[in-house]
Amino acid sequence: MTNENVILRLTDVVKTFPGVVALGGVELEVRAGEVHCLLGQNGAGKSTLIKVLSGVHKPDSGTVQWLGEEVAFANPQAAMKAGIATIYQELDLVEDMSVAENVYLGHEPRSLGFVNRSLMARNTSGILAQLGHAEVVPTRLVRVLSSAGKQLVSMARALSHQAKLIIMDEPSAVLAHDEVENLFRIIRELTAQGIAVVYISHRLEEIREIGDRVTVLKDGRTSAVNLPARTTPTRDLVSRMTGRTIEYVFPPRGDAQPGDKLLEVKGLNRSGEFHDVSLSVHSGEIVGIAGLVGSGRSELLETIFGARRADSGTVTMNGTQLRPGSVGASVKAGLGLAPEERKSQALMLGEPVYRNMTLSTFADLASAGFTSTEKEQAAALGAAKQLDLKPLDVRRSAGTLSGGNQQKVVVGRWLLGGTKLLILDEPTRGVDVGARAELYQVIRGLTEQGVGVLLVSSEVPEVLGLADRVLVMREGRVIRHTAAGELTEEDVLDLVMAGSLETAGEEAA
Amino acid sequence: MSTPNLSRRSALFGAAALGTLAVASACTSNETPNNTQTKGADTNNPNAAAGKQVTIGFSAPAADHGWIAAITNNAKAQAATYKDVTFKQVEAGKDAAAQRAVLETLIAEKPDVIVLLPHDGKELNAFGLKAMAAGIPVVNLDRAFPDALAYRCQIKGDNYGMGVAAGHYIGKALKAKNIASPVIGEIAGMDELELTQERSQGFKAALATYGFTVSNRRAARFTADSGQAEATGLFQALNKIDAVWNHDDDQGIGVLAAMNSSNRKEFLLVGGAGSKAAIEAIAKDDSPLKATVTYSPSMASSAISLARLIGQSKGMADLVELQVPKEIILASETITKENASTYLRLGF
Amino acid sequence: MTTTTTPQTQQPAATPRVSFWRDEAKEPWRRNLALIGVLILLFIIGAVIRPELYGDPKWVFDNMMVILQQASAIGVVTVGMTFIIIGGGIDLSVGALIALAGVWCTTVATQSFGSAGMIFTAVAVGVGAGLVNGVLIAYGRLVPFIATLAMLVAARGLAARISGKQTQVSTDQFINSIASTRPFGIPMLALILVAVAALGWVLLNRTTFGRRTVAIGGNAEAARLAGINVRRHTMLLYALSGLCCGIAAIMLTSLATSSQAAAAELYELDAIAAAIIGGTLLTGGRGTIVGSMIGVVIFATITNLFAITNTPTEAQNMVKGGIIVLAVLIQQLKFKSVKQMLIRT
Repeated sequence: MTNENVILRLTDVVKTFPGVVALGGVELEVRAGEVHCLLGQNGAGKSTLIKVLSGVHKPDSGTVQWLGEEVAFANPQAAMKAGIATIYQELDLVEDMSVAENVYLGHEPRSLGFVNRSLMARNTSGILAQLGHAEVVPTRLVRVLSSAGKQLVSMARALSHQAKLIIMDEPSAVLAHDEVENLFRIIRELTAQGIAVVYISHRLEEIREIGDRVTVLKDGRTSAVNLPARTTPTRDLVSRMTGRTIEYVFPPRGDAQPGDKLLEVKGLNRSGEFHDVSLSVHSGEIVGIAGLVGSGRSELLETIFGARRADSGTVTMNGTQLRPGSVGASVKAGLGLAPEERKSQALMLGEPVYRNMTLSTFADLASAGFTSTEKEQAAALGAAKQLDLKPLDVRRSAGTLSGGNQQKVVVGRWLLGGTKLLILDEPTRGVDVGARAELYQVIRGLTEQGVGVLLVSSEVPEVLGLADRVLVMREGRVIRHTAAGELTEEDVLDLVMAGSLETAGEEAA
Repeated sequence: MSTPNLSRRSALFGAAALGTLAVASACTSNETPNNTQTKGADTNNPNAAAGKQVTIGFSAPAADHGWIAAITNNAKAQAATYKDVTFKQVEAGKDAAAQRAVLETLIAEKPDVIVLLPHDGKELNAFGLKAMAAGIPVVNLDRAFPDALAYRCQIKGDNYGMGVAAGHYIGKALKAKNIASPVIGEIAGMDELELTQERSQGFKAALATYGFTVSNRRAARFTADSGQAEATGLFQALNKIDAVWNHDDDQGIGVLAAMNSSNRKEFLLVGGAGSKAAIEAIAKDDSPLKATVTYSPSMASSAISLARLIGQSKGMADLVELQVPKEIILASETITKENASTYLRLGF
Repeated sequence: MTTTTTPQTQQPAATPRVSFWRDEAKEPWRRNLALIGVLILLFIIGAVIRPELYGDPKWVFDNMMVILQQASAIGVVTVGMTFIIIGGGIDLSVGALIALAGVWCTTVATQSFGSAGMIFTAVAVGVGAGLVNGVLIAYGRLVPFIATLAMLVAARGLAARISGKQTQVSTDQFINSIASTRPFGIPMLALILVAVAALGWVLLNRTTFGRRTVAIGGNAEAARLAGINVRRHTMLLYALSGLCCGIAAIMLTSLATSSQAAAAELYELDAIAAAIIGGTLLTGGRGTIVGSMIGVVIFATITNLFAITNTPTEAQNMVKGGIIVLAVLIQQLKFKSVKQMLIRT
């Protein structure tokens, strides 16, 4: 293919946010009619890149050439007008409007100032037919459509804007297996008409099937450009994504052997989320779960903790079976959860630190129902010192702390409660690198006091560096269970990204 | 204000004690009017003899105010005194729209006459036209239709006249006491209603003939608690008062309570509407309440009588005309200690 | 992403002294001061228009007592409402519950059981109806707005049914005398309000019940994941509001020496507005009893001022509406600035 076919070219694009370099020099070249795949770990900068392309963010430096001209989109509408459409994972459709109304949302065909509904419906039918789905009725409500149907509406909307480039952010994540085939058929229809697609997915098998070329992102930079999608070996792709330049500072593992078995999970099931999960955590041990977002990790943790009710299976703590679906029972038995979304699930940002820390213990510190501010502050201060909270002021409101210190507050909450088994869901999300090392130290320190830790993280090196034993999850199943030293980052990525469970098993073996 | 009813007593209290809410409605669903204003058969009246069978459809708002409750009770009771009347009541619902809906079904049932107290005369004017066109005479009760074609007969109270009566009573009383520039308070009803405005205008006009004005006017909500609140405000504003007109005897219960708790009894109080309790208090003459001007719900009883006559194509026996007149406006009467005993029968 | 590997070394920051006017934790105090400023302003307006009344210290004291008395029933309801809103809910049924409890406790049947029977009935009806609200919201998963709106309609209907649409006069001497008693020159009803508000303050600020309320309103999911029984507590909050309605029903019955189905009209709006003006966050998690009480007193003072100056009721309602809008606007501006501060850090 020649240069004339290139419709989009990014050169050395840099985008920084206060304190963070999100994109540190990205190259991208997309040709008309191709499916260009974007590959990278969580946090590699894929979403920022999408937002730059779709006009949400403006790059700090570097150039974006669109159809041969340098452009800087002022806003998403400008990008849309120029012919770049983005289909996000969370589809931005209005559920209670019809298919046609959604397709023409914001640019309804009008006559005499009134929306021309019949023209709108006719055009929508035309576009849907063009996508090979003439059977979808334009007057139906979007609410009643399946995920695949809604995606189709999003694409029809893109086409109604005469898009020449469609960016799809993990479009297969919400689809069942047979629907993915259908999606690919639509993508082929699009490319046959000369429309380019930037396709983002974690699933290598999909990239191999639909992709033409691959660009790999790592830590905000392009580590490989324009690799052939079908022929580049998996090992090559994976190695381009791993080997971080960021160094993780993990405290050394202690010599102490794990103690008694604390937590035992047997055959835990929740339909559509995870299947037949069994695991155990001993006192003084860190068990890590690696897996991509959507592999059922967070759901599993919340179910173990009783925040969700399992369909089947049991959770046993210290030999006693926990009442399913009861957080209260779990907390009484000595479990504690530091959830994934710190701000929305764990903290009262406007309340002082000590009240956040004593959220599960203030009743124990109270006498005859009367709370004691003195006792609570003293207890919280003790935990804050142990966790090296900065600043060391428990009367500050939690919202004023940095991410790492907010996480310490959540961990402190469970320290106060004498928690024996701590469940950590993405403990370092939104925590800067320096503070991470401190958190690792805190977590390791807890195990030395005999606390068992169950840890989930999207950052594979974190799981491998911190945990004593590692479980690898994919699509709701545990596909590997081993000591941490026996796996490398690449092994794990191989496992979680491989095409299917069977091949994953083979490659792992 | 109801008489003891032993069967209700234990059931109600027991249910309350249990804190269960549903029981009570079952126990109290058969509310029977316990004092109504009716006129029984008068053998000297040729119209008393049973005539042609008449079906009267009736609709009035389901309000929680004593006066409206009395309207419905009176209508029901008056109909019961006639052997030749079938009384068909339909619930009027919460607002004009709801009332219109149930009235549509009433037309379909083809009653001989419809007696109607509309939520709003203007909004239900169209219904009146429709019923009249369908050959069903409509007797409008108290809230007039703007269109004369929308009713056969209209009977209503005189709101302006009520204010005038109160104004004259107060004016005369204060003149008799030789008070040159008296302090006069007014506690009106719901201010957004036209009838409240008419009453206040009448009051003002009548006072003006004595050279008096209203010093402070508060508007309550026809409820006892709002009457208490507004009266309390009035007392704070005026250190010494010579007379107060309170538009409504129901909210007057609250006005009297406010007078008791703030110990303000130096003035002359005139009520409105003519409730039984107010008439009794006037008769006893042991409180500042010296008079009340009527706006009697007895008009509902009269409306039923008129409807019967219309249904039987008879006129009013004392009049020369062979048919019932088109419009009857009740005079607002002033009940005082002297005539209270004769009006006690009409108190609601 | 940065590439530092050394943990940041920060000095354990000594908390700097923040002036009263900038300290975030003192925000409620500043607001209450501002509200008291509004009260003083209202007083001055009155004094300018009716100097002959405001010049008499005896009248001024008496008038303040009257304001407190007239604020008492709505004040008690607002204590419950403050708990509900801090807990992240809303209760639209309070006016209707007062009417229901008031009507139920003044039936001839209930009155035959004497003062104690009447008080017991009013409180039981209030708590019972509040529990119904609570169960529907906490366990039936109804939106508070809908559940309590339904209760509003149903309770007024039931009250109309029980009263036979009549005004029920209380013949109980003790109940009737509550409103006219003035120990030490202070109206008994005002004393009841102060007692209820004080109990509410202790309950909110010094007990586990209050802490749970703030936690659930501040972040229900965090409270749940910390092991707090969110549903049971939500149910109890509505029962508490019902209890306040029951008490208020007795107070209102005493004031008006009667009760009827249309009583306590729009009390829900006054209570919500008073709480909002007092600084209670409509989204929950923040609010003070003291602020709400000042809000109630401001409303009662406005009503009083309008009576004293012989201004029509409709003007009073317009002013009230304006004040509510203003208070919420100020709250939003403040909340926004706090949010921006959180984002910046």
